[in-house]
Amino acid sequence: MILARKSVLGPGEARTRTRQRRQMIFLGVSVVIGGTIGGLTGAFDQGDGSLFSGDWDKLKLNPAIAVFVSALLVIGFIALPLRGFGQIDEFKRENNFIGFTGGCLAVLAGFPIWAVLYAGGMLPPPHAFGIWLLGFFGMFASYLIARIRA
Amino acid sequence: MKNRLKVLRAERDWSQAELAGRLDVSRQAVNAIETGKHDPSLPLAFKIARLFDMPIEDIFDDGETA
Repeated sequence: MILARKSVLGPGEARTRTRQRRQMIFLGVSVVIGGTIGGLTGAFDQGDGSLFSGDWDKLKLNPAIAVFVSALLVIGFIALPLRGFGQIDEFKRENNFIGFTGGCLAVLAGFPIWAVLYAGGMLPPPHAFGIWLLGFFGMFASYLIARIRA
Repeated sequence: MKNRLKVLRAERDWSQAELAGRLDVSRQAVNAIETGKHDPSLPLAFKIARLFDMPIEDIFDDGETA
């Protein structure tokens, strides 16, 4: 005899599934936008510059592509996060606040630390993309720590 | 803060996902509250109390005596 599986979802479980499905769609859209940004900048990059080395004068992109990618960046870094904040609950919002605080502190502390280490001859001079990476990874690490501790 | 959420949920044979859906929060939020790693906001505490039809102080215990 085949064991009967609990096939009828309670109203709460059904709502939780809808919430999870919405989050997966949100994540999927984020990945598509991120992939499009990376793909376009990689495919249409016409210069020899690199964000990592800070040689901005060698960066070159078709103006139309640049405008399109900047619009995607607005969606990816402003519109989607703001929409996401409206969808998540207080627990996840708290974790996000911890993440953003970590990113903010990483920049506030990271830049002067980098500057004095540069002055001491131990690092190359601070540059914008490096500072951005500090903020991004500071945020990411803080968020992960908050999630692991919870 | 200690609470009786897990016991109350078990009494009704609800999963964490079921309770989460009824409270309109994530399953992770329910888990964090049950394990005492997240203290719910006042609106959520009221929502929990209404769902179980109990006073807040019968569900949550902050360890203080009146």
